[in-house]
Amino acid sequence: MTRTLQEAPAAARRPRIGGWELALGVLLLVQLLVFSLAVPGFFDGVSGLLNVTTNFLPFGLVALGLVPVILTGGIDLSVGAVAGFSAVLMAVLWKHFGLNLGVAVPLALLAGGLLGALNGLLITRTRTEPLIITLATSFVFNSVTTALAGAEPPSGFPDSFNALGTGALGGVPYQLILFAALAIVISLLITRTRFGRSVVMVGYNRDATRYSGINVDRTVLGVYVISGVMAALAGVVLAAYYSAVRSDMGDILLLTALTMVVLGGINIFGGEGSVLGAVLAVLLLGFLRQGLLIAGFSDMVTTMVTGAILLVAITAKNLLSTPGAFTRRMKERFSRPSTAPPEQLTK
Amino acid sequence: MLPLSRPPHRPNAAWRTWRGLLESRELILIAATVLVTLLAGLINRDFLAGSNLRFMLLNSVVLGLVALGQTLVIITKGIDLSVAPVLGLGAVVSGLLATRDGLPLWGAVLLVLAIGAVLGLINGALVSSISIPPIIVTLGTYSLYGGLIFLYSNGDQVNSVPDSYAQFGNGVLASWFPVPIPILVLLVIMLAVWFLLGHLPFGRNILAVGNNPAAAHHAGVPVKYTLTSAYVIAGTLAALAGLVYVCYTGSATATTGTGDHFELQSIATVLIGGTAVAGGRGSVFGTVLGSTFLSVILTALVFLHVPAIWYSAGEGLMILLAVTSSSLRRSSSTGRAA
Repeated sequence: MTRTLQEAPAAARRPRIGGWELALGVLLLVQLLVFSLAVPGFFDGVSGLLNVTTNFLPFGLVALGLVPVILTGGIDLSVGAVAGFSAVLMAVLWKHFGLNLGVAVPLALLAGGLLGALNGLLITRTRTEPLIITLATSFVFNSVTTALAGAEPPSGFPDSFNALGTGALGGVPYQLILFAALAIVISLLITRTRFGRSVVMVGYNRDATRYSGINVDRTVLGVYVISGVMAALAGVVLAAYYSAVRSDMGDILLLTALTMVVLGGINIFGGEGSVLGAVLAVLLLGFLRQGLLIAGFSDMVTTMVTGAILLVAITAKNLLSTPGAFTRRMKERFSRPSTAPPEQLTK
Repeated sequence: MLPLSRPPHRPNAAWRTWRGLLESRELILIAATVLVTLLAGLINRDFLAGSNLRFMLLNSVVLGLVALGQTLVIITKGIDLSVAPVLGLGAVVSGLLATRDGLPLWGAVLLVLAIGAVLGLINGALVSSISIPPIIVTLGTYSLYGGLIFLYSNGDQVNSVPDSYAQFGNGVLASWFPVPIPILVLLVIMLAVWFLLGHLPFGRNILAVGNNPAAAHHAGVPVKYTLTSAYVIAGTLAALAGLVYVCYTGSATATTGTGDHFELQSIATVLIGGTAVAGGRGSVFGTVLGSTFLSVILTALVFLHVPAIWYSAGEGLMILLAVTSSSLRRSSSTGRAA
């Protein structure tokens, strides 16, 4: 994507303001307040509220893994397939190979990382759009997972493992602890390390990054490995939540997780966004969904609301992102088109 | 004095034409389809039976229609994920109205065309007027339109369609001309899209916008109008595909379209057909041949007793092969691709 000179100062100002994160945070509080007051059964003590998060945090784990990928300007459509593969692999290693789950889970995460590395290698070696590569590999992974799962996928994991999905430590669900810890790790990785800076740089301007001596391919490879491991972890947590695996269990993850990342203010073209934004968007959408479900709306209505919120939020963000953008757009709209070319199209 | 160097190797014209033919995606697809058909026919004679050939062609029509619209969108450097719920909405609305209220077939055709156009217009307006990236717009409308199906159907599903609909989905135009109607529909629309893209100013505008929107704008191309139209056409064809789907299968549920991942399938078909995801060029015939090829491969796998689960892997490998072969060719002719 070509960036205009006018955009640079706005982007440089961004980290200090964090207006989008602030807006998401306020919305989240308002939403929790409204649901607590208006929906009977939503607020059932603090631990009850925290327990609601176990319904949507697997999506959040995938979203966290997608953040670095989208910061580089890429996309990973294979997260659902990787999650399903890893969960099934873990279950099969446990059931049919008699491995302890303490060994099977790390192996499943490793497998997720390897599949991510495969994506990264294909993208960097063939110089093909990540969208296509990960679409293609997700098809392949899906077949392998279905074959691996067989007719009767293993289920009935021990309770000690299922606690990962449904258990809590002093009122705080294990899932939430895991999510919070990983959010902090990935946030530090992005903001405090050399790798993280190069992730953002690759997304902001790939050529400039290459000219400044950063190994772009290695950075890109790295983000897909992260995304693969996080997707695998989401698969494992889902398996613990249901105490069962299915080859298509990851299918639902992709679009919702992608919505969360985009709503979190991460630019789909890369180079801009924060982990905090993504975390807030995960909580916002997750609680919204659960709140609507508890209030008695159907699953499809909540899905619809999710889609509408994404569109409204991004429209608002686009119109408000740069000062004066809205008035300029209106002027452009009502002036003679030949006089001023649309600003986003100028090189 | 300039250093002497050997003149670059210039292949003669005949060789270049031959090479061009070899590299034409359409010919590769035709050859692959024929090859797979003959091989499967050698192993199992029933594969070549008229009824099976007819089935394979019919089976590719729905995907072919969706992919034709997707082709136009991808040429503009866009992507339309919402084709799957639009297809589902077209199938469920027309199917339910037909069985409940006796909506005549011509009414259903007009209705689905209108539904698809309006939903496509919403996509197009958001993409072109507010400059939201297409993948985000259609991700949002994917959920939105998916919810609409459920709101409309309220859990009901279509289990059968009136005779006139079934005739439209499976029958032939006349007994002396035994080509199923859906195949004729696909052929007519394929020719229309091909003519539009290759021979009308509007088609040139689509190609220009996909190549370089800024240059297109300066050259006087109405960029926003062109972009919007591409999404309107994609929506219209997806909804029409939904009508064909419900007429052909006689059933539709709230997850028709999204459940089969028509959005991903149609993108895969377009890529296999040789359209570049980088925009600016595309092949209408390639797309239709791609959907036929996928249908033939799927049926061949069934005939050869390959478990159907490997079909998806085969499709993935075909996408990889299709895009990496063209990207390698591009980088070998222009040096290191950026």
